[in-house]
Amino acid sequence: MTKQIIIRIIFISLLLILGIFLYISGKEHTIFIDNKEITLNDTTYRANSDYKVWIDNKELKVIKKGERGLTKVTGTNHKIMVEKISDKVLTGEKHEMRFRLKMNEKIIIINLPAMINNADEWLIKQIN
Amino acid sequence: MRNNNLTKRSVGKIINVLLNNTVPIVILLILVFAIPLSNLSGTFIIREIVTRLSRNLFLILSLIIPVLAGMGMNFSIVLGAMSAQIAIIFITDWGIIGIQGVLLAILISTPIAILLGFFAGIILNKAKGKEMVTGFMLSFFVNGIYQIFVLFIMGSLIPISNSEILLDKGYGIRNTINLIGIRQVLDNLIAFDIKGVRIPILLFLIIGLLCIFIIWFKKTKLGHEINTVGQDNDISAYMGINVGKIRILSIVISTILACYGQIIFLQNIGTLTVYDSHIQVGVFTIAAILVGGASVTSANIGNAIIGAILFHAMFVVSPLAGKTLIGNAQIGEYFRVFISYGVIAFSLAVYAWRERIEEKRDEITKGNEI
Repeated sequence: MTKQIIIRIIFISLLLILGIFLYISGKEHTIFIDNKEITLNDTTYRANSDYKVWIDNKELKVIKKGERGLTKVTGTNHKIMVEKISDKVLTGEKHEMRFRLKMNEKIIIINLPAMINNADEWLIKQIN
Repeated sequence: MRNNNLTKRSVGKIINVLLNNTVPIVILLILVFAIPLSNLSGTFIIREIVTRLSRNLFLILSLIIPVLAGMGMNFSIVLGAMSAQIAIIFITDWGIIGIQGVLLAILISTPIAILLGFFAGIILNKAKGKEMVTGFMLSFFVNGIYQIFVLFIMGSLIPISNSEILLDKGYGIRNTINLIGIRQVLDNLIAFDIKGVRIPILLFLIIGLLCIFIIWFKKTKLGHEINTVGQDNDISAYMGINVGKIRILSIVISTILACYGQIIFLQNIGTLTVYDSHIQVGVFTIAAILVGGASVTSANIGNAIIGAILFHAMFVVSPLAGKTLIGNAQIGEYFRVFISYGVIAFSLAVYAWRERIEEKRDEITKGNEI
Protein backbone atom coordinates (compact mmCIF):
# COMPACT_ATOMS: atom_id res chain seq x y z
CA MET A 1 0.00 0.00 0.00
CA THR A 2 2.77 2.43 1.02
CA LYS A 3 4.76 1.45 -2.06
CA GLN A 4 1.72 2.19 -4.24
CA ILE A 5 1.28 5.62 -2.62
CA ILE A 6 4.97 6.42 -3.15
CA ILE A 7 4.74 5.40 -6.82
CA ARG A 8 1.66 7.59 -7.25
CA ILE A 9 3.35 10.58 -5.57
CA ILE A 10 6.42 10.15 -7.81
CA PHE A 11 4.19 9.89 -10.90
CA ILE A 12 2.22 13.03 -10.01
CA SER A 13 5.48 14.88 -9.19
CA LEU A 14 6.92 13.90 -12.58
CA LEU A 15 3.76 15.16 -14.31
CA LEU A 16 4.03 18.45 -12.38
CA ILE A 17 7.69 18.82 -13.39
CA LEU A 18 6.73 18.07 -17.00
CA GLY A 19 3.98 20.70 -16.77
CA ILE A 20 6.41 23.33 -15.46
CA PHE A 21 8.93 22.45 -18.19
CA LEU A 22 6.24 22.76 -20.89
CA TYR A 23 5.07 26.07 -19.41
CA ILE A 24 8.57 27.55 -19.40
CA SER A 25 9.66 26.20 -22.79
CA GLY A 26 6.37 27.03 -24.52
CA LYS A 27 5.83 30.55 -23.13
CA GLU A 28 5.61 33.05 -25.93
CA HIS A 29 7.50 36.35 -25.86
CA THR A 30 7.09 39.14 -28.40
CA ILE A 31 10.32 40.80 -29.52
CA PHE A 32 10.38 44.19 -31.23
CA ILE A 33 13.64 44.95 -32.97
CA ASP A 34 14.23 48.68 -33.46
CA ASN A 35 16.75 50.03 -35.89
CA LYS A 36 16.12 53.56 -34.63
CA GLU A 37 18.04 56.32 -32.94
CA ILE A 38 17.95 56.09 -29.14
CA THR A 39 19.32 58.15 -26.27
CA LEU A 40 20.39 56.20 -23.21
CA ASN A 41 22.09 57.83 -20.21
CA ASP A 42 22.81 61.04 -22.21
CA THR A 43 24.42 59.07 -25.03
CA THR A 44 22.72 59.01 -28.42
CA TYR A 45 23.09 55.92 -30.60
CA ARG A 46 22.27 56.66 -34.23
CA ALA A 47 20.89 54.22 -36.76
CA ASN A 48 23.32 54.38 -39.66
CA SER A 49 22.81 51.14 -41.57
CA ASP A 50 20.31 48.46 -42.50
CA TYR A 51 20.69 45.08 -40.76
CA LYS A 52 19.85 41.50 -41.50
CA VAL A 53 18.63 39.84 -38.28
CA TRP A 54 18.57 36.25 -37.03
CA ILE A 55 16.93 35.26 -33.76
CA ASP A 56 17.75 31.77 -32.50
CA ASN A 57 19.16 31.08 -35.99
CA LYS A 58 15.78 31.93 -37.53
CA GLU A 59 16.18 34.42 -40.34
CA LEU A 60 14.09 37.58 -40.13
CA LYS A 61 13.60 40.26 -42.72
CA VAL A 62 16.10 43.09 -43.25
CA ILE A 63 15.41 45.92 -40.83
CA LYS A 64 16.08 49.22 -42.53
CA LYS A 65 17.16 52.45 -40.86
CA GLY A 66 14.31 53.90 -38.77
CA GLU A 67 12.24 50.73 -39.01
CA ARG A 68 10.97 48.20 -36.48
CA GLY A 69 10.82 44.45 -36.88
CA LEU A 70 8.74 41.96 -34.89
CA THR A 71 9.14 38.32 -34.04
CA LYS A 72 7.84 35.89 -31.47
CA VAL A 73 9.95 33.40 -29.54
CA THR A 74 9.32 30.70 -26.95
CA GLY A 75 11.44 29.69 -23.99
CA THR A 76 13.99 31.52 -21.89
CA ASN A 77 17.42 31.52 -23.58
CA HIS A 78 17.85 33.32 -26.87
CA LYS A 79 20.47 34.56 -29.28
CA ILE A 80 20.30 37.53 -31.63
CA MET A 81 22.71 37.93 -34.50
CA VAL A 82 22.80 40.88 -36.87
CA GLU A 83 24.80 41.53 -40.00
CA LYS A 84 25.35 44.99 -41.44
CA ILE A 85 24.09 45.70 -44.93
CA SER A 86 25.81 48.24 -47.10
CA ASP A 87 24.58 49.09 -50.61
CA LYS A 88 22.14 46.19 -50.34
CA VAL A 89 25.02 43.74 -49.80
CA LEU A 90 25.83 41.83 -46.59
CA THR A 91 29.16 43.18 -45.35
CA GLY A 92 30.13 40.29 -43.09
CA GLU A 93 30.25 42.61 -40.06
CA LYS A 94 28.33 40.53 -37.52
CA HIS A 95 27.27 41.21 -33.95
CA GLU A 96 25.91 38.55 -31.65
CA MET A 97 24.28 38.82 -28.24
CA ARG A 98 22.63 36.34 -25.91
CA PHE A 99 19.80 37.15 -23.56
CA ARG A 100 17.62 35.43 -21.03
CA LEU A 101 13.91 36.08 -20.52
CA LYS A 102 11.76 35.54 -17.46
CA MET A 103 8.23 34.15 -17.59
CA ASN A 104 6.52 37.48 -16.93
CA GLU A 105 8.53 39.39 -19.54
CA LYS A 106 6.02 39.31 -22.34
CA ILE A 107 7.29 42.11 -24.58
CA ILE A 108 10.96 42.84 -25.28
CA ILE A 109 12.37 45.73 -27.27
CA ILE A 110 15.86 45.37 -28.72
CA ASN A 111 17.52 48.50 -30.02
CA LEU A 112 20.05 47.55 -32.70
CA PRO A 113 22.25 50.72 -32.60
CA ALA A 114 22.49 50.35 -28.79
CA MET A 115 23.23 46.62 -29.08
CA ILE A 116 25.98 47.12 -31.67
CA ASN A 117 27.60 49.75 -29.48
CA ASN A 118 27.40 47.44 -26.44
CA ALA A 119 25.18 49.82 -24.48
CA ASP A 120 23.95 48.36 -21.18
CA GLU A 121 20.29 49.06 -21.92
CA TRP A 122 20.14 47.61 -25.45
CA LEU A 123 17.31 45.35 -24.32
CA ILE A 124 14.17 46.73 -22.67
CA LYS A 125 11.82 44.26 -21.03
CA GLN A 126 8.17 44.99 -20.39
CA ILE A 127 6.63 42.95 -17.61
CA ASN A 128 3.06 41.83 -18.07
CA MET B 1 -33.17 -29.78 -53.93
CA ARG B 2 -29.65 -29.23 -52.53
CA ASN B 3 -29.08 -26.32 -54.94
CA ASN B 4 -32.34 -24.75 -53.81
CA ASN B 5 -31.22 -24.91 -50.17
CA LEU B 6 -27.87 -23.34 -51.02
CA THR B 7 -29.57 -20.50 -52.92
CA LYS B 8 -31.97 -19.89 -50.04
CA ARG B 9 -29.05 -19.82 -47.59
CA SER B 10 -27.10 -17.39 -49.80
CA VAL B 11 -30.11 -15.11 -50.21
CA GLY B 12 -30.64 -15.23 -46.45
CA LYS B 13 -27.02 -14.28 -45.85
CA ILE B 14 -27.19 -11.39 -48.32
CA ILE B 15 -30.41 -10.10 -46.72
CA ASN B 16 -28.76 -10.35 -43.31
CA VAL B 17 -25.70 -8.37 -44.48
CA LEU B 18 -27.95 -5.75 -46.09
CA LEU B 19 -30.07 -5.45 -42.93
CA ASN B 20 -27.00 -5.16 -40.72
CA ASN B 21 -25.47 -2.48 -42.94
CA THR B 22 -28.55 -0.53 -44.00
CA VAL B 23 -27.17 2.85 -42.87
CA PRO B 24 -23.75 2.67 -44.60
CA ILE B 25 -25.37 1.34 -47.79
CA VAL B 26 -27.96 4.15 -47.86
CA ILE B 27 -25.27 6.80 -47.25
CA LEU B 28 -23.06 5.23 -49.93
CA LEU B 29 -25.95 5.38 -52.41
CA ILE B 30 -26.60 9.02 -51.53
CA LEU B 31 -22.89 9.75 -52.08
CA VAL B 32 -22.90 7.99 -55.45
CA PHE B 33 -25.62 10.41 -56.60
CA ALA B 34 -24.34 13.48 -54.74
CA ILE B 35 -20.66 13.42 -55.82
CA PRO B 36 -21.33 14.03 -59.55
CA LEU B 37 -23.98 16.64 -58.66
CA SER B 38 -21.53 18.57 -56.47
CA ASN B 39 -19.09 19.11 -59.40
CA LEU B 40 -16.19 18.81 -56.95
CA SER B 41 -12.89 17.41 -58.17
CA GLY B 42 -11.66 14.06 -56.85
CA THR B 43 -8.51 15.67 -55.42
CA PHE B 44 -10.60 18.21 -53.49
CA ILE B 45 -12.87 15.55 -52.03
CA ILE B 46 -9.92 13.33 -51.06
CA ARG B 47 -8.06 16.29 -49.51
CA GLU B 48 -11.11 17.26 -47.48
CA ILE B 49 -11.75 13.70 -46.34
CA VAL B 50 -8.11 13.21 -45.30
CA THR B 51 -8.21 16.47 -43.31
CA ARG B 52 -11.50 15.56 -41.68
CA LEU B 53 -10.36 12.00 -40.94
CA SER B 54 -7.28 13.25 -39.11
CA ARG B 55 -9.42 15.83 -37.31
CA ASN B 56 -12.33 13.62 -36.20
CA LEU B 57 -11.28 9.97 -36.11
CA PHE B 58 -9.76 10.13 -32.62
CA LEU B 59 -13.05 11.49 -31.25
CA ILE B 60 -15.06 8.81 -33.05
CA LEU B 61 -12.79 6.04 -31.72
CA SER B 62 -13.41 7.27 -28.17
CA LEU B 63 -16.95 5.87 -28.44
CA ILE B 64 -15.95 2.21 -28.81
CA ILE B 65 -15.14 1.20 -25.20
CA PRO B 66 -18.51 2.21 -23.64
CA VAL B 67 -20.29 0.21 -26.38
CA LEU B 68 -18.22 -2.83 -25.36
CA ALA B 69 -19.35 -2.25 -21.78
CA GLY B 70 -22.97 -2.36 -22.94
CA MET B 71 -23.55 1.32 -22.26
CA GLY B 72 -24.48 2.25 -25.81
CA MET B 73 -23.28 5.42 -27.49
CA ASN B 74 -21.59 7.67 -24.96
CA PHE B 75 -23.27 11.05 -25.38
CA SER B 76 -21.32 12.25 -22.36
CA ILE B 77 -18.12 12.52 -24.45
CA VAL B 78 -19.19 16.16 -24.53
CA LEU B 79 -17.76 16.30 -21.00
CA GLY B 80 -14.34 15.33 -22.34
CA ALA B 81 -14.64 18.03 -24.99
CA MET B 82 -15.40 20.60 -22.28
CA SER B 83 -12.30 19.51 -20.32
CA ALA B 84 -10.19 20.03 -23.42
CA GLN B 85 -11.66 23.48 -23.99
CA ILE B 86 -11.03 24.62 -20.42
CA ALA B 87 -7.37 23.56 -20.76
CA ILE B 88 -7.06 25.31 -24.12
CA ILE B 89 -8.47 28.53 -22.66
CA PHE B 90 -5.80 28.36 -19.92
CA ILE B 91 -2.87 27.79 -22.28
CA THR B 92 -4.12 30.59 -24.54
CA ASP B 93 -4.28 32.93 -21.56
CA TRP B 94 -0.79 31.97 -20.44
CA GLY B 95 0.58 32.34 -23.97
CA ILE B 96 1.93 28.80 -24.25
CA ILE B 97 2.28 27.98 -27.92
CA GLY B 98 3.49 25.22 -30.22
CA ILE B 99 3.73 21.56 -29.36
CA GLN B 100 4.36 22.55 -25.73
CA GLY B 101 0.96 24.25 -25.69
CA VAL B 102 -0.78 21.12 -27.00
CA LEU B 103 1.04 18.86 -24.52
CA LEU B 104 0.29 21.22 -21.62
CA ALA B 105 -3.38 21.29 -22.66
CA ILE B 106 -3.36 17.46 -22.57
CA LEU B 107 -1.73 17.53 -19.13
CA ILE B 108 -4.21 20.05 -17.69
CA SER B 109 -7.31 18.53 -19.25
CA THR B 110 -6.62 14.91 -18.22
CA PRO B 111 -7.51 15.29 -14.49
CA ILE B 112 -10.59 17.37 -15.41
CA ALA B 113 -11.68 14.66 -17.87
CA ILE B 114 -11.09 11.92 -15.27
CA LEU B 115 -13.18 13.83 -12.73
CA LEU B 116 -16.03 14.52 -15.15
CA GLY B 117 -15.87 10.96 -16.53
CA PHE B 118 -16.06 9.56 -13.01
CA PHE B 119 -19.06 11.77 -12.28
CA ALA B 120 -20.74 10.70 -15.53
CA GLY B 121 -19.99 7.04 -14.76
CA ILE B 122 -21.67 7.27 -11.34
CA ILE B 123 -24.75 8.94 -12.84
CA LEU B 124 -24.96 6.42 -15.70
CA ASN B 125 -24.69 3.54 -13.20
CA LYS B 126 -27.83 4.86 -11.57
CA ALA B 127 -29.62 4.83 -14.91
CA LYS B 128 -28.82 1.32 -16.16
CA GLY B 129 -30.56 0.57 -19.44
CA LYS B 130 -31.12 4.27 -20.16
CA GLU B 131 -27.48 5.32 -20.48
CA MET B 132 -27.81 7.11 -23.80
CA VAL B 133 -30.65 9.45 -22.92
CA THR B 134 -29.08 10.02 -19.48
CA GLY B 135 -25.72 10.79 -21.09
CA PHE B 136 -27.45 13.21 -23.47
CA MET B 137 -29.17 15.06 -20.63
CA LEU B 138 -26.02 14.93 -18.51
CA SER B 139 -24.11 16.73 -21.24
CA PHE B 140 -26.71 19.55 -21.09
CA PHE B 141 -26.42 19.70 -17.31
CA VAL B 142 -22.60 19.85 -17.31
CA ASN B 143 -22.78 22.37 -20.15
CA GLY B 144 -24.60 24.66 -17.71
CA ILE B 145 -21.81 24.28 -15.15
CA TYR B 146 -19.22 24.79 -17.89
CA GLN B 147 -20.92 28.03 -18.93
CA ILE B 148 -20.96 29.32 -15.36
CA PHE B 149 -17.27 28.42 -15.07
CA VAL B 150 -16.26 30.08 -18.32
CA LEU B 151 -18.65 33.02 -18.20
CA PHE B 152 -18.35 34.03 -14.54
CA ILE B 153 -15.57 32.22 -12.68
CA MET B 154 -12.84 32.73 -15.29
CA GLY B 155 -11.61 36.27 -14.92
CA SER B 156 -13.22 36.81 -11.53
CA LEU B 157 -12.15 33.96 -9.22
CA ILE B 158 -9.58 32.54 -11.64
CA PRO B 159 -7.32 35.30 -12.94
CA ILE B 160 -7.25 35.71 -16.72
CA SER B 161 -4.72 38.29 -17.89
CA ASN B 162 -5.03 38.03 -21.67
CA SER B 163 -7.33 40.87 -22.72
CA GLU B 164 -7.78 39.27 -26.15
CA ILE B 165 -9.80 36.41 -24.64
CA LEU B 166 -11.43 38.29 -21.78
CA LEU B 167 -14.79 40.02 -22.14
CA ASP B 168 -14.80 43.83 -21.80
CA LYS B 169 -16.63 43.65 -18.46
CA GLY B 170 -13.46 42.15 -16.93
CA TYR B 171 -14.64 38.58 -16.37
CA GLY B 172 -15.86 35.80 -18.65
CA ILE B 173 -14.34 34.51 -21.86
CA ARG B 174 -15.13 35.86 -25.31
CA ASN B 175 -17.27 33.79 -27.66
CA THR B 176 -14.43 33.02 -30.07
CA ILE B 177 -10.76 32.48 -29.30
CA ASN B 178 -8.09 32.48 -31.95
CA LEU B 179 -5.81 29.47 -31.40
CA ILE B 180 -3.08 30.78 -33.67
CA GLY B 181 -0.39 29.60 -31.23
CA ILE B 182 -1.32 25.93 -31.54
CA ARG B 183 -3.01 25.99 -34.95
CA GLN B 184 -2.22 22.78 -36.89
CA VAL B 185 0.83 22.12 -34.74
CA LEU B 186 0.22 18.37 -34.75
CA ASP B 187 -0.86 18.39 -38.41
CA ASN B 188 2.33 20.01 -39.61
CA LEU B 189 4.89 18.42 -37.28
CA ILE B 190 5.33 15.39 -39.53
CA ALA B 191 3.47 15.71 -42.83
CA PHE B 192 4.01 15.43 -46.56
CA ASP B 193 2.14 16.17 -49.76
CA ILE B 194 0.99 13.63 -52.33
CA LYS B 195 -0.35 15.27 -55.50
CA GLY B 196 -1.69 18.30 -53.62
CA VAL B 197 -3.14 16.26 -50.76
CA ARG B 198 -1.45 16.97 -47.44
CA ILE B 199 -1.09 13.86 -45.28
CA PRO B 200 -0.64 14.62 -41.56
CA ILE B 201 1.50 11.57 -40.76
CA LEU B 202 1.86 12.30 -37.04
CA LEU B 203 -1.89 12.51 -36.52
CA PHE B 204 -2.47 9.27 -38.39
CA LEU B 205 0.29 7.67 -36.29
CA ILE B 206 -1.46 8.84 -33.13
CA ILE B 207 -4.78 7.50 -34.43
CA GLY B 208 -3.04 4.23 -35.39
CA LEU B 209 -1.64 3.96 -31.86
CA LEU B 210 -5.12 4.47 -30.44
CA CYS B 211 -6.42 1.66 -32.69
CA ILE B 212 -3.61 -0.63 -31.47
CA PHE B 213 -4.42 0.41 -27.90
CA ILE B 214 -8.11 -0.51 -28.38
CA ILE B 215 -7.21 -3.89 -29.91
CA TRP B 216 -4.71 -4.59 -27.12
CA PHE B 217 -7.10 -3.33 -24.46
CA LYS B 218 -9.82 -5.76 -25.58
CA LYS B 219 -7.39 -8.64 -24.94
CA THR B 220 -6.42 -7.55 -21.42
CA LYS B 221 -8.14 -8.82 -18.29
CA LEU B 222 -9.90 -5.49 -17.93
CA GLY B 223 -10.97 -5.60 -21.57
CA HIS B 224 -12.45 -9.08 -21.09
CA GLU B 225 -14.25 -7.88 -17.97
CA ILE B 226 -15.67 -4.89 -19.87
CA ASN B 227 -16.83 -7.27 -22.60
CA THR B 228 -18.43 -9.61 -20.07
CA VAL B 229 -20.22 -6.69 -18.39
CA GLY B 230 -21.39 -5.65 -21.85
CA GLN B 231 -22.89 -9.11 -22.45
CA ASP B 232 -24.77 -9.44 -19.18
CA ASN B 233 -24.54 -7.45 -15.94
CA ASP B 234 -26.05 -10.17 -13.74
CA ILE B 235 -23.75 -12.94 -14.99
CA SER B 236 -20.75 -10.59 -14.60
CA ALA B 237 -21.71 -9.83 -11.00
CA TYR B 238 -22.16 -13.56 -10.38
CA MET B 239 -18.63 -14.11 -11.77
CA GLY B 240 -17.28 -11.67 -9.16
CA ILE B 241 -16.77 -8.70 -11.47
CA ASN B 242 -17.46 -5.30 -9.93
CA VAL B 243 -19.93 -4.21 -12.62
CA GLY B 244 -20.35 -0.63 -11.37
CA LYS B 245 -16.59 -0.05 -11.23
CA ILE B 246 -16.05 -1.48 -14.73
CA ARG B 247 -18.79 0.69 -16.19
CA ILE B 248 -17.37 3.82 -14.53
CA LEU B 249 -13.90 2.93 -15.81
CA SER B 250 -15.10 2.54 -19.38
CA ILE B 251 -16.79 5.96 -19.26
CA VAL B 252 -13.66 7.54 -17.72
CA ILE B 253 -11.48 6.07 -20.52
CA SER B 254 -13.96 7.27 -23.15
CA THR B 255 -14.08 10.79 -21.63
CA ILE B 256 -10.28 11.04 -21.53
CA LEU B 257 -10.00 9.90 -25.15
CA ALA B 258 -12.74 12.34 -26.19
CA CYS B 259 -10.84 15.09 -24.40
CA TYR B 260 -7.68 14.33 -26.41
CA GLY B 261 -9.80 14.03 -29.54
CA GLN B 262 -11.21 17.51 -28.97
CA ILE B 263 -7.69 18.93 -28.53
CA ILE B 264 -6.71 17.36 -31.87
CA PHE B 265 -9.92 18.76 -33.44
CA LEU B 266 -9.41 22.29 -32.12
CA GLN B 267 -5.72 22.54 -32.98
CA ASN B 268 -6.67 21.57 -36.53
CA ILE B 269 -9.51 24.12 -36.78
CA GLY B 270 -7.45 26.88 -35.12
CA THR B 271 -10.46 28.58 -33.57
CA LEU B 272 -12.31 27.80 -30.36
CA THR B 273 -15.99 28.74 -30.21
CA VAL B 274 -16.08 28.70 -26.42
CA TYR B 275 -19.82 28.19 -25.95
CA ASP B 276 -20.53 26.02 -29.00
CA SER B 277 -17.57 23.85 -30.05
CA HIS B 278 -18.38 21.01 -27.64
CA ILE B 279 -22.16 20.91 -28.10
CA GLN B 280 -22.29 19.12 -31.46
CA VAL B 281 -19.38 16.77 -30.65
CA GLY B 282 -21.60 14.04 -29.23
CA VAL B 283 -24.20 14.05 -32.00
CA PHE B 284 -21.75 14.27 -34.91
CA THR B 285 -19.30 11.63 -33.67
CA ILE B 286 -22.10 9.23 -32.78
CA ALA B 287 -23.76 9.82 -36.15
CA ALA B 288 -20.42 9.15 -37.85
CA ILE B 289 -19.81 5.79 -36.13
CA LEU B 290 -23.43 4.74 -36.79
CA VAL B 291 -23.01 5.65 -40.46
CA GLY B 292 -20.04 3.27 -40.40
CA GLY B 293 -22.33 0.37 -39.52
CA ALA B 294 -22.00 0.38 -35.74
CA SER B 295 -25.02 -0.16 -33.57
CA VAL B 296 -25.91 0.60 -29.97
CA THR B 297 -24.62 -2.85 -28.99
CA SER B 298 -21.60 -3.28 -31.24
CA ALA B 299 -18.92 -0.96 -32.56
CA ASN B 300 -15.40 -1.52 -33.79
CA ILE B 301 -12.48 0.33 -35.34
CA GLY B 302 -13.67 -0.52 -38.87
CA ASN B 303 -17.06 1.12 -38.17
CA ALA B 304 -15.28 4.25 -36.94
CA ILE B 305 -13.04 4.52 -40.03
CA ILE B 306 -15.77 3.74 -42.59
CA GLY B 307 -18.17 6.04 -40.74
CA ALA B 308 -15.68 8.90 -40.66
CA ILE B 309 -15.04 8.57 -44.40
CA LEU B 310 -18.72 8.30 -45.42
CA PHE B 311 -20.08 10.87 -42.99
CA HIS B 312 -17.46 13.48 -43.82
CA ALA B 313 -17.64 12.79 -47.55
CA MET B 314 -21.31 13.64 -47.19
CA PHE B 315 -20.42 16.75 -45.21
CA VAL B 316 -18.16 17.93 -48.01
CA VAL B 317 -20.43 17.04 -50.90
CA SER B 318 -23.98 17.73 -49.70
CA PRO B 319 -24.03 21.60 -49.66
CA LEU B 320 -22.86 21.81 -53.29
CA ALA B 321 -25.02 18.89 -54.38
CA GLY B 322 -27.98 20.65 -52.74
CA LYS B 323 -27.07 23.86 -54.57
CA THR B 324 -26.96 22.09 -57.95
CA LEU B 325 -30.14 20.17 -57.31
CA ILE B 326 -32.33 22.87 -55.76
CA GLY B 327 -30.29 26.02 -56.26
CA ASN B 328 -29.69 26.56 -52.56
CA ALA B 329 -26.57 25.45 -50.65
CA GLN B 330 -28.47 25.83 -47.40
CA ILE B 331 -30.57 22.79 -48.36
CA GLY B 332 -27.41 20.68 -48.35
CA GLU B 333 -26.50 22.11 -44.95
CA TYR B 334 -29.93 21.18 -43.57
CA PHE B 335 -29.63 17.80 -45.23
CA ARG B 336 -26.42 16.87 -43.41
CA VAL B 337 -27.86 17.95 -40.06
CA PHE B 338 -30.98 15.93 -40.91
CA ILE B 339 -28.76 12.92 -41.71
CA SER B 340 -26.84 13.29 -38.42
CA TYR B 341 -29.94 13.20 -36.27
CA GLY B 342 -31.78 10.86 -38.65
CA VAL B 343 -29.04 8.22 -38.51
CA ILE B 344 -29.09 8.24 -34.70
CA ALA B 345 -32.89 7.99 -34.61
CA PHE B 346 -32.85 5.21 -37.22
CA SER B 347 -30.23 3.18 -35.32
CA LEU B 348 -32.15 3.53 -32.07
CA ALA B 349 -35.36 2.45 -33.82
CA VAL B 350 -33.63 -0.58 -35.39
CA TYR B 351 -32.16 -1.47 -32.00
CA ALA B 352 -35.57 -1.25 -30.31
CA TRP B 353 -37.17 -3.25 -33.14
CA ARG B 354 -34.56 -6.04 -32.84
CA GLU B 355 -34.93 -6.14 -29.07
CA ARG B 356 -38.70 -6.53 -29.44
CA ILE B 357 -38.24 -9.35 -31.97
CA GLU B 358 -35.80 -11.12 -29.62
CA GLU B 359 -38.21 -10.70 -26.71
CA LYS B 360 -40.99 -12.26 -28.79
CA ARG B 361 -38.66 -15.08 -29.83
CA ASP B 362 -37.81 -15.72 -26.16
CA GLU B 363 -41.49 -15.76 -25.27
CA ILE B 364 -42.24 -18.29 -28.04
CA THR B 365 -39.28 -20.47 -26.95
CA LYS B 366 -40.43 -20.37 -23.32
CA GLY B 367 -44.00 -21.21 -24.40
CA ASN B 368 -42.75 -24.22 -26.38
CA GLU B 369 -40.69 -25.43 -23.38
CA ILE B 370 -43.77 -25.28 -21.12
